[in-house]
Amino acid sequence: MAKKYEFDYDLIVIGSGAGGSAAATIAAREGRRVAIIESDTFGGDSPNWSDIPTKALLHVATLYDEARHGAKFGLRSATLSYNYPLIRAWKDLAVKRTGAAGNKKYYETQGIDAYVGTAHFISPNEISVNRRHLSADNFLIATGSTWAIPEIPGLDTVDHLTPKTILETIRPPKTLLIIGGNDTAVEIAQLMAIFGTKVYLVERGSRLLPEFDREVGELLERTLAEQKGITTLTHSSVVSINKEGLSKRVIISRGGSEKSVRVDEILIADHRSPSVDLGLENAGVKFTATGIKVNSHLQTNVKHIFAAGEVLGQNSHTHTALLESQIAANNIFRSSKIEMSYSINPRVIFTHPAIASVGLSEDNCNRSKRAINKSVAPLNIIARSNTADFRDGFVKIITDKRGVVIGATIFAPAAGELIHELALAIKCGLTVSDIAQTPHAFLSWSEAIRVAANKLA
Amino acid sequence: MSLAVDIIKNNGSSERFDRDKLHKSIVSVCISVRAPHGQAEATAHSVCDAVIDWLASRPEVTSADIRTIAGKHLKRYHPEAAYLYEQHHIII
Repeated sequence: MAKKYEFDYDLIVIGSGAGGSAAATIAAREGRRVAIIESDTFGGDSPNWSDIPTKALLHVATLYDEARHGAKFGLRSATLSYNYPLIRAWKDLAVKRTGAAGNKKYYETQGIDAYVGTAHFISPNEISVNRRHLSADNFLIATGSTWAIPEIPGLDTVDHLTPKTILETIRPPKTLLIIGGNDTAVEIAQLMAIFGTKVYLVERGSRLLPEFDREVGELLERTLAEQKGITTLTHSSVVSINKEGLSKRVIISRGGSEKSVRVDEILIADHRSPSVDLGLENAGVKFTATGIKVNSHLQTNVKHIFAAGEVLGQNSHTHTALLESQIAANNIFRSSKIEMSYSINPRVIFTHPAIASVGLSEDNCNRSKRAINKSVAPLNIIARSNTADFRDGFVKIITDKRGVVIGATIFAPAAGELIHELALAIKCGLTVSDIAQTPHAFLSWSEAIRVAANKLA
Repeated sequence: MSLAVDIIKNNGSSERFDRDKLHKSIVSVCISVRAPHGQAEATAHSVCDAVIDWLASRPEVTSADIRTIAGKHLKRYHPEAAYLYEQHHIII
């Protein structure tokens, strides 16, 4: 009989963010011996430096912005102003109230050994944390990702911000250049613009949010320009940066010509790099600079090592990483394996108006030459658009030839809430007729979903 | 110079990281691919600095890690030497 080796733990989870926390908790509740390792602040990115603080600030910004533009409804708001240190204090309170930020004690009360330090594989079943060797039967790598700093001449000679550090600035800068046109970049662009910052968005692609359908990026660019004075430079890349007094001079290449912008601050929000520098070679785990390779069970090429979250190299949302973590926990300890499916994970951007999508996009379908039907309902045809005085936006539903919903995109206030009806429709294989025949409350934004579905029913 | 980093060797024993030892190995490999001595010294200096930066938050790594990281940085200065450096332990 083969010898069964004894290890310190049944499972060691490396990283305490969304990709790691759920698996650690599930395993501990099942009576497994579990350790969790965190090299920075417990809780990871989402509660500490991204989702929670950004959305807390966006909430204040939206309140302020709506009040400022209340004159047309009869509100007197000309003297409205803000106190940024108090806004930051609100943000800190929101972070503290989640309970997920800095939650080392939570793990300890769950019977999980929590270690602070950088984990480094020294063999397939052993890691080193602060010179302490810990061994385990199974590992879950959930080290997440960090903002990648591009190699731009002169960038190392000036201070720059990242989406993490901009949340701690004393006051919004007067001018800000953001490198990147992704979801984080547009959220911060809108946030800062509402507080009075002149924002430039520099995006290499032909539009903002290239992972969404074309009309989303184009409408967002127009909305940001008209309502917030944000200048978007697409087809552009930063060539060099020079210090100019207290400011920075940024040279931008756009369509063969060069443009120069002088700004107070530069924000790097182009893309994230998976945190794969943890001695994976010593464990024999296959990986590249773009992430760890896993199969549909989230298992790496080394059968007892799994991975979840942004270390996989996808720009995943917190809810996706949590789901991956739950599935990894199941697949590590149970014989009935679950496959990870990304087809019904909503993607939400919390700008105002918000943007959300689920399932396939029209661009995806066109690229794969898949036969589809689509329907677009502009927001201005529903009653809520009149009472809220908001007209730009739409609901787009994509179906297969039988009318079964396979994708949807929403550009509307509360899009992040509305999208779940369509996610459920995709999960359950519902048709547009099913949606169109479901009563939708008059004067709710979701009437636009019924209208879009009705066009195809 | 000895940095407070332990290097776990292939046979399981460990020793303190020694910059001079790494420096000498880089110089040797550069010279063996006929790099001028001055260039070999300068390259070794830069590679050692990069490895020490990488070790800053790691109190314990394996000798294979040092080889991988040093090889990665050496590739930027001298790809031929980097190839030889990475393959040396396999060849002998």
